[in-house]
Amino acid sequence: MPSLDAACDKREPWEDEVNTMKISFELNGKEVEAETTAYTSLLDMLRDELDVKSVKKGCESGECGACTVLVDGLPMTSCIILAPQAEGRHITTIEGLEHNPLMIDLRQSFIENGAIQCGFCTPGMLISSYALLRDNPHPTPEEVKIGIEGNICRCTGFTKIIEAVLDAAERIAPE
Amino acid sequence: MNPIPKIQYHAPITLAGALQLLEELDKAKPIIGGTDLLIAMRQAACTPSHLVDLNRIPELNYITEEEGYIKIGATVTHSQAASNPLIKGVPALYDAVSRIGSPQIRNRGTLTGNIVNASPAADTACPLIVHDAEIVIKSIDDTNIIPVEDLFEGPKINCLEPSELITEIRIPTPVENSTSAYKRIGRRQAFTLSVVSAAAYLQVEENTCVEAGFAFGSVAMTPLRVPEVEEMLKGKELTEENIKEASEAVREYVQPITDVRGTAEYRKDMCPVLMRRAINESLGRMR
Repeated sequence: MPSLDAACDKREPWEDEVNTMKISFELNGKEVEAETTAYTSLLDMLRDELDVKSVKKGCESGECGACTVLVDGLPMTSCIILAPQAEGRHITTIEGLEHNPLMIDLRQSFIENGAIQCGFCTPGMLISSYALLRDNPHPTPEEVKIGIEGNICRCTGFTKIIEAVLDAAERIAPE
Repeated sequence: MNPIPKIQYHAPITLAGALQLLEELDKAKPIIGGTDLLIAMRQAACTPSHLVDLNRIPELNYITEEEGYIKIGATVTHSQAASNPLIKGVPALYDAVSRIGSPQIRNRGTLTGNIVNASPAADTACPLIVHDAEIVIKSIDDTNIIPVEDLFEGPKINCLEPSELITEIRIPTPVENSTSAYKRIGRRQAFTLSVVSAAAYLQVEENTCVEAGFAFGSVAMTPLRVPEVEEMLKGKELTEENIKEASEAVREYVQPITDVRGTAEYRKDMCPVLMRRAINESLGRMR
């Protein structure tokens, strides 16, 4: 059977079974537990069960980056992660970085450079920019573009965001 | 986007456990990053009843060099590969894993997932093919090793049985005088499927090509290797003229289609261009 879907051509309808499970993980430095299902995305679990509304729901297919969170420190799109895959992991959203010096400078730089318009992409954009500057304090404009290539902004045209990230880099670690 | 369909979730902690689950469960699929699978499930293009998560299996996460191979375990992400010195020694593959998708996708998606999805546009496929890479396929009572190109049977169709799992990608350790590169054209630079792509592998002795490998993405039902063109360059001096002649010959062998990303004509025209770019980039790396 050659098909990618060989194992799953047509599925019988499920009986109305309730398939809930408890997931425990670290959210912004605190141990949390959520009751959810195996087929809930990490995004939906964060928003609906744990009330973390900074994580935005955009495309739900990993393309737009609005739902970006740090999983064990690495930016990932939470819409294409299953809730149980977060078990035991460290999940960080911008709430968890509120008092982080790098994030404070980055946030201020976004405000001063006009890098925020409607604001929908901003939490994801900040998470990606944070991970970029954490790992590479002196990025080139090209490296900034690569760092935020997984985050779509439909307002700013990106120029002001790129300027804001470069400006933040300058504030944090002046050359 | 649609919600994720109902599934049962399993997270074995050993490879044996995962193989057992794939053998016993009805309509089970393995999942690692899920960057392709969960989207296919949301679009109802794939409807498994069970997902077997491989992320908790430590024995599948490794990049090592032994027995003349660079071996990459099933759960290695593109980011892990891109930051590994062994993968830097496989230049075409490094080109692919360091720029595939976006940072979020590179941190989540895996090399095995990229090829098992069997897209003709899979970025890691052509680099692996020109480097003569193989995959190790395991089931509960069997192990098979096949060339990467044999995995691809058609667009999004792979050769695996439901109970089979790719546990490893292995690339022959590149020899001293070899080089390679991967080049792609997309509608934009960032985060996009390739309209067409090309990987080149060359082994060079005193400016003469002694071994060659060329493969193209998004120009046929599967990633396409062109042995006839490889033969044209073998034993020849790598002059501009010879490179041009071989790269123009590629037009004979590719059968691209027109789709939302580009026309068949454009794709065909770009194959020689990309092949020359990949060859020149490869040669530049030797100097």
